[in-house]
Amino acid sequence: MDALIAAPELAPYQTEPTQMRSGAVGKNGFLKLGFERRGTRTVLADLRRRTPLIAQRALYYDAAMPDLPCVMIISTAGGLLQGDRSAVEIALADDCDAHVTTQSATKVQQMDANFAAQTQDIVLGERAYLEFLPEPTIPFRHARFASRTRIVLPASAALLYGEVVQAGRVHHAGGERFAFDVFSSSIAAQRPDGRRLFAEKLVVEPAVRGVGNVAVMGSYEVFANVLFLAPPEAVARVHGATPAEFDGAARCAAGASRLPHDAGLVYKVVGMDRETVQARVRTFWGRVRQAVRGCPVPPPFLWR
Amino acid sequence: MTSLVRAMRLLQFGDSMLPVGSFAFSNGLESAVQQKVVRDLPTLREFIETALVQAASCDGIALLAAHRAACVGDAAGVIAADHAVLLRKLNEEMRTMTLRMGRKLGELVAHAAPHPLVTRWLADIEAGATPGTHPAGLGVVGAALGLREDDIFAAHQYGVAAMMASAALRLMRVSHLDGQALLHALGGTADRAYATAARASLDDMATFAPIADILASVHVNAHVRMFMN
Repeated sequence: MDALIAAPELAPYQTEPTQMRSGAVGKNGFLKLGFERRGTRTVLADLRRRTPLIAQRALYYDAAMPDLPCVMIISTAGGLLQGDRSAVEIALADDCDAHVTTQSATKVQQMDANFAAQTQDIVLGERAYLEFLPEPTIPFRHARFASRTRIVLPASAALLYGEVVQAGRVHHAGGERFAFDVFSSSIAAQRPDGRRLFAEKLVVEPAVRGVGNVAVMGSYEVFANVLFLAPPEAVARVHGATPAEFDGAARCAAGASRLPHDAGLVYKVVGMDRETVQARVRTFWGRVRQAVRGCPVPPPFLWR
Repeated sequence: MTSLVRAMRLLQFGDSMLPVGSFAFSNGLESAVQQKVVRDLPTLREFIETALVQAASCDGIALLAAHRAACVGDAAGVIAADHAVLLRKLNEEMRTMTLRMGRKLGELVAHAAPHPLVTRWLADIEAGATPGTHPAGLGVVGAALGLREDDIFAAHQYGVAAMMASAALRLMRVSHLDGQALLHALGGTADRAYATAARASLDDMATFAPIADILASVHVNAHVRMFMN
């Protein structure tokens, strides 16, 4: 967390909030989800939490994978506020499967001091399979948000991780598009022996550099960054089934690239609206689950 | 070394005609033109501008790190900067481009201006100790030639812009004069780019250009193309 707080893109935003100080009780959420195998099932064996982050219990609602624990990360804070520091740790022991998501979109609230920062640490055991698909992030006007994700997994494990980021509250007060101050997301993955696989850091500062540039977002308003890290056969199958698309009529563009060091794929999507982008991510998720576990994904929840 | 000789070195090794194979790459411009993302001079300028921002905020930081390490004989520092570049090339085409150009640059300088730093660099690539990316290689070469870090940083930025401007001449209706005007205008942004990159560390290497990234994955699968991937 200290290195994240010291990142250069956060340097202009180090003033303390006049409300509660940064990282105070209630603003330093922590969640540890430790999964273990029990018989044919994976169970949520280790659950530790500190407000405002909560997870209740694993539910087994996925009809195609009845032994798959599904866990929803809940925040009681109404989004991320200035001065928030949160940490999420997800660990899967050998031969575990798990699906983790969030209860709703993560709203990064308007800020006039400091920033919100989040770390995510994901550690997978041999042959483990994690689907970590949080709901979209919506950075409000003057929001400052930095997230740092570290992944450790062996060559036999598989991870699907996807983040979807929206431009803002596009129907609020005449339209709020890319009005946030900074959105920063860094992801790095390595093997358990320390060999690094790839690293990516996305820094979006709309006031410093316009996102409307034809090579950046053009007129698109939503982007998704999805990682699929898995053994080579599964990666090849998903890659083969995911042609790049660049189609004005479809209101989106998407493409997958092979990551360095045979780590897997990165799948990027930009689109005019959340529904179109999420539909692409869902289709990709379907291919991933089919390639990794030979199972289909459940139909979308009607109320989400 | 006098400033005159330094200028000669910079002109030679920063020349867009330096045979390191950059003419074979368009840095994503070919698919951008095919998909009509780039269709005229203003959109070409935007596309190259973003490539320059990316070059400065990602590869340029590693170039400076490699140059600084090579100047003090820190071989491990050079290798760390080199790995940092490769880890961040999430697209195959970009990896191919940086490795091919890095390798050619090393071989060329080893022949034209032999220096222990470059010999060591090539030996490390041969031995598989380091991948041999272009920005890290340019940092090493800059140190070997006695060039200042801001000079070699400028050569790298110029190389990216010149490669794309020259590809544009072959891909779309742009005149040589427009191309040169564009290079001149974009050259004026190098100061600010260097100031930011010079303060940054390898962990700060960052990008954000989703459309360019997607276009690169379109290019890998394209049936008809002039430029390599």
